[in-house]
Amino acid sequence: MRGFAAIVKVSLRQALGGKRVIVLGLLGLVPTLVMWLSSRNLTAGAAARRFYDAPFGILFLMVLPVCALVIGSGTMGDERRDGTLSFLLLRPMRRWVIVTAKFVAAWVASTTIVAASGLLAAITLGARSGDYAATGPIVLAVAISSAVYVAVFMLLGYLTSRAVLIGLVYVFIWESSITFAAAGLANVSLFRIGVTAYAALVPASRQPLNEVLGSLAPGAWGAMAKAVVITTLAVLALASLLRRRDALSE
Amino acid sequence: MTSSPATVRDATVEVTAVSKWFGQKVAVSDLSCSFGPGITGLLGPNGAGKTTLLRMVCGLLRPSDGSVTILGVDPRRQPSVYAKAALVPEEDAVYPALTARQFVRYATDLSGAPRSRVDEAITAVDLQAAADRPIAGFSKGMRQRAKVAAALVTGPDVLILDEPLNGTDPVQRAHLIDIFRRLADEGKTVIVSSHVLAEVERMADRVLAVVDGRLAAAGDVGAIRHAMADIPYRVRIEVGDTRRMAALLLETDVVSSVAVSGSTLHVETSDLADLGRLVPRMAKQVDARLTAFEPEDESLESVFRYLVHRR
Repeated sequence: MRGFAAIVKVSLRQALGGKRVIVLGLLGLVPTLVMWLSSRNLTAGAAARRFYDAPFGILFLMVLPVCALVIGSGTMGDERRDGTLSFLLLRPMRRWVIVTAKFVAAWVASTTIVAASGLLAAITLGARSGDYAATGPIVLAVAISSAVYVAVFMLLGYLTSRAVLIGLVYVFIWESSITFAAAGLANVSLFRIGVTAYAALVPASRQPLNEVLGSLAPGAWGAMAKAVVITTLAVLALASLLRRRDALSE
Repeated sequence: MTSSPATVRDATVEVTAVSKWFGQKVAVSDLSCSFGPGITGLLGPNGAGKTTLLRMVCGLLRPSDGSVTILGVDPRRQPSVYAKAALVPEEDAVYPALTARQFVRYATDLSGAPRSRVDEAITAVDLQAAADRPIAGFSKGMRQRAKVAAALVTGPDVLILDEPLNGTDPVQRAHLIDIFRRLADEGKTVIVSSHVLAEVERMADRVLAVVDGRLAAAGDVGAIRHAMADIPYRVRIEVGDTRRMAALLLETDVVSSVAVSGSTLHVETSDLADLGRLVPRMAKQVDARLTAFEPEDESLESVFRYLVHRR
């Protein structure tokens, strides 16, 4: 447990240190800025619709995946690139424990930035409409989607040094375009997992979200179960790779 | 298990017929050896396969063929063995944002070692003055010492060091060698790789020479030299009449080649003792003044060069 806590602590420091957290923090301000600027002089109902038209989409289709990509892919990728992977792996700890600790740190870091972003946007909505019902569910939805994205991008970051590039293609081509065009593929879209939880918790959001995202099947427990399964599989796959493959290249 | 000089009786680390290839490139080929208490030097030029071998020993690389055990277990299957084994890798495996103390403490937390050892380890590598500074500002030598402290703090029975003296100044080097010697005296297994022969000569009780991924020689320094009975010795002779001396030397059976360079002769011989007896007599014969007779490569380096050249 001491080793697990130590990995989480040091990894959190790595993830939230340096210039990249400032850049991600600035990116996180975009939904609030858009909400604040675009909802001036709108009625409460119109402000709520505007929230789902733009800031909500920016949060789940840009801020969340980009933060999760940068933090998640760097979690193991940076250790491999910087040569510290041997320091981490040559310890009397099971590989899955090491990977889980790294995941927890990346998830907390990513969720902190994105949830703060979502919370600010939801509070701005509340200030315009007087309804603050979105604040709690948006944090939960971010936490769920962030877990899935971080776990998948962590695996990607270990497998390739071009994880950010591949991840961006995935986010902006697959998630933002293809899954919208082909309704059948919506089920395999990662950001929708959190959004379905949100829709279940905020009934007023279902109609506007359905209009933007196509048919959505709200369900908080289902979303959480899906997230747990995908996250667990990704973490175990990475632990297995660390056990079976060479930890270092030539 | 004592029939080969590559193996030891009380082995703590055993390497059995290990090979490793990366695509078409063979990095280590069918190499068997073992390591026991004391310091064993792993010697070889850059690219010889030393780092690959040590990474396989640690479990960071999976052997393409053969097997490795540390304290009787395969480290890739039983990571619990890492509580008793530590690696100081060649690369800068440090976290720049952490201070040296935080880095060493991180190592204790990961290994389950007592935190009370942190100060002791930092003191052992003489890093107290910089212990609370971020590693980012450290010199190469200081980083090396921080890595050694992070390995020592776990109290390993098997310590594997890949080029640990790189970047250290002579004083630090002597200090680190003292630490490794002390560990060896305590019965720990210390494996040190280096391409700097003088370093290996200074600290290792036993040497394994690796060339082109294969074991080229094994034993103590003297034994390796003895085994290489046919190794040609190079001798530098300063003498007055170099041309006549060279002609006389080439007529003998013990000299295989002579090169003249000003008033110096560079002679290659198979029998240093015989040559030592002959040269003064010849100098007297040609009435030339003999001012120097020195072996050019009496160190382990000559053995190593010979081994590399012979392959």
